[in-house]
Amino acid sequence: MKLGTVISTAIMGLMLSTSLSLAGPEIVAGPGAEPGCFAPWNADTKYMQWPAKQGPYKIAVVNGFVGNGWRIQMIKTAKAYAEDPAIKDKIAEFKVVSTGTDAPAQLGAIEDFINQGYDAIITIAVAPDGFDRVIRLADKNNVVLVPFDNVLDTDAVMQVNEDQLLMGRTWAEFTLKELAAKGVTSGDILEVRGLAGNSVDRDRSIGINEVLEADAGDWKVTQVVGNWDDGTAQKVVADAIAVHGEFDAIIAQGGTVGVVQAMIDAGHPFVPVAGESENGFRKLLAKHAGEGLKGISIGQSPGLVAVSMKAAIAALEGNVMPQLISVPLPVTEYSELQDGVNFWSDLPDNFFTVNEFPPCGVNISGPSIMAQTEADVK
Amino acid sequence: MRNKRSPLASTIRQNPGFYGAIIMLLVLYLVYNMLHPRGFSAAVLIQNSNESVAIVFLAMAQTVPVLLGGLDLSVGAIMTLTNCVASVVVNGSPPQIIVGMIITLATGTAFGLMNGLIVVYGRLQPIIATLATGAIAVGLALFIRPAPGGNVDDDISWALTNDLYELVDTYGWFDADAAWFAPISWFPVPLLIVVVIAFGVWLPFKRTVTGRTIYAIGSAEGAAYMSGLNLNRAKIAAFTLAGFFAGCAGLYLAIQTSSGNADITQAGAYTLNSIAAVVVGGTSLLGGMGGAIGSMVGALILRVISFYFRIVSIDPLLQPLVEGVVLLLAVSLGAFRTLRVKNQLNLFR
Repeated sequence: MKLGTVISTAIMGLMLSTSLSLAGPEIVAGPGAEPGCFAPWNADTKYMQWPAKQGPYKIAVVNGFVGNGWRIQMIKTAKAYAEDPAIKDKIAEFKVVSTGTDAPAQLGAIEDFINQGYDAIITIAVAPDGFDRVIRLADKNNVVLVPFDNVLDTDAVMQVNEDQLLMGRTWAEFTLKELAAKGVTSGDILEVRGLAGNSVDRDRSIGINEVLEADAGDWKVTQVVGNWDDGTAQKVVADAIAVHGEFDAIIAQGGTVGVVQAMIDAGHPFVPVAGESENGFRKLLAKHAGEGLKGISIGQSPGLVAVSMKAAIAALEGNVMPQLISVPLPVTEYSELQDGVNFWSDLPDNFFTVNEFPPCGVNISGPSIMAQTEADVK
Repeated sequence: MRNKRSPLASTIRQNPGFYGAIIMLLVLYLVYNMLHPRGFSAAVLIQNSNESVAIVFLAMAQTVPVLLGGLDLSVGAIMTLTNCVASVVVNGSPPQIIVGMIITLATGTAFGLMNGLIVVYGRLQPIIATLATGAIAVGLALFIRPAPGGNVDDDISWALTNDLYELVDTYGWFDADAAWFAPISWFPVPLLIVVVIAFGVWLPFKRTVTGRTIYAIGSAEGAAYMSGLNLNRAKIAAFTLAGFFAGCAGLYLAIQTSSGNADITQAGAYTLNSIAAVVVGGTSLLGGMGGAIGSMVGALILRVISFYFRIVSIDPLLQPLVEGVVLLLAVSLGAFRTLRVKNQLNLFR
């Protein structure tokens, strides 16, 4: 009874004190710290500032789904970046957990880390909604919560992502540039889309088609759905080539290795291809660029996790941060490919090359990730 | 009753799986709290109960058809469906919220009833029938909420996912600082909800003729029929109750996340975990033995195992493996009785 009274009084005191002093970030005026790395999403993006904390910090990554190559590479990148000399001293403790596609478990894990006194929690949300409670708790405890990749539908937390619309536009602009260089100013373009109903797929496709429509030339776009998956993309591209004949260029959101493979198998002449950042795609670009496979490779990088970690630390140090951080697109054109630098001919195809963000000081290269266990698997 | 000397000792001997699970849960949770920097605090208890409610209700839902000797593959889907329903109806004024909650639970119950009717009058195996109806439930959920979202009342969301103090304080029922209230004000609301439903719905139901008929069917359906029990009514009741419990899970999920999400992979994962929880909790998949309270304990064990990854440093890519091994050990504990049996025919009863 007595102990219970003491405990409950303590809890009550805690509840009262925290609910009165609802802390969390303050909305301040920009510009923010390191704009080269932490670029605001657009001109309307708010800026946030947390009270500065003394380091080193305890940081946790709460992943949801685990089991595809991208997620595994993301986790490895997070671990490698935590060991990076630039930030190693700023991190007291670092933990990564994956909860699977289980919203209560992910929310529980985030809350657990808040309770454990962690300073920052980085997460790929399993759903764009439903985080109100943990956001409230994070604010109460001055914990910096950073969703990235699958971001939340809220402007109450700092988030990190790449601009999918811009990615679509850049692909299309490159394609038009290469076609113009060949003297082609109108014709057929094959667009290989991603998972239907997904906002990333929608935004990338809007970006691609915006640019093609705005162009003076007359472009006929054929759309197929490749689900960002090599096998599916290879099949639908093979079908499209069989039905449609030749295309002047291909813009693929993902599964780009399959796209190029389908082209080779069908005996389709090499044309410009815009695609994702799989190592296999870059290997093919390097090999066949001379024959006309002029390509651009842009990726949703697993290295976003490192940028998110860096942003969390910057926020904990009291810097002014944009609420929505647009990470510069990692763009590599065929002419810039160098074996061992931005692709690796001795590493597997199914691996995402773009891991580095030089403006952010994130320099985790492919091999430094692969060195951990993937090499043994191979 | 039969053993006058010590009724407790005989129940323990008759339910080794259940009591073993309770001891395992206590040990696991105690160690977790000792390792946690803020162990044994109300905040940790609230957080732990919050994330366990959905799977606990789903494990209880799964238990009832399993006692019949069947499996219900639609429980996760019903949870997803009711989650989406709740995200539409649970808001507005307090009476509207209450009506919304009733609608949500009624949806789950009605879906369970439909499962029961299909199994009994369609004469289908439960596992096949519920595989199909589960797909229907997910389809309906996607129809109601094609994209995640919705708006569950913020106050109810905050009040029901905290301790009693916040519940009373949010709605101002009485002075939450009253001295008499202090000793219990730290108690987590989600835990209270689970306890009330488990002991207020399951235990009374188990004691009815229909409840005991479910056990009888699982033990020996032929004998139950020859004894003149109403098998059809018991089967329908079992699936209906499963639907109700799954509805509770969906409602709480909506309250916890203040939104609805027709997440198909989550529905599948929850269904599989509910079966694991039932087994860990000492209920036999062959039917006739066990109970929803055991499954509640089983679900909590599953959850507590995953809590450890946040405390202990284990390579993130090895975590699923470790979880699987621990789960296998937990399930194997229940199988130890086979080692002590003198005549193996006893296992087949």
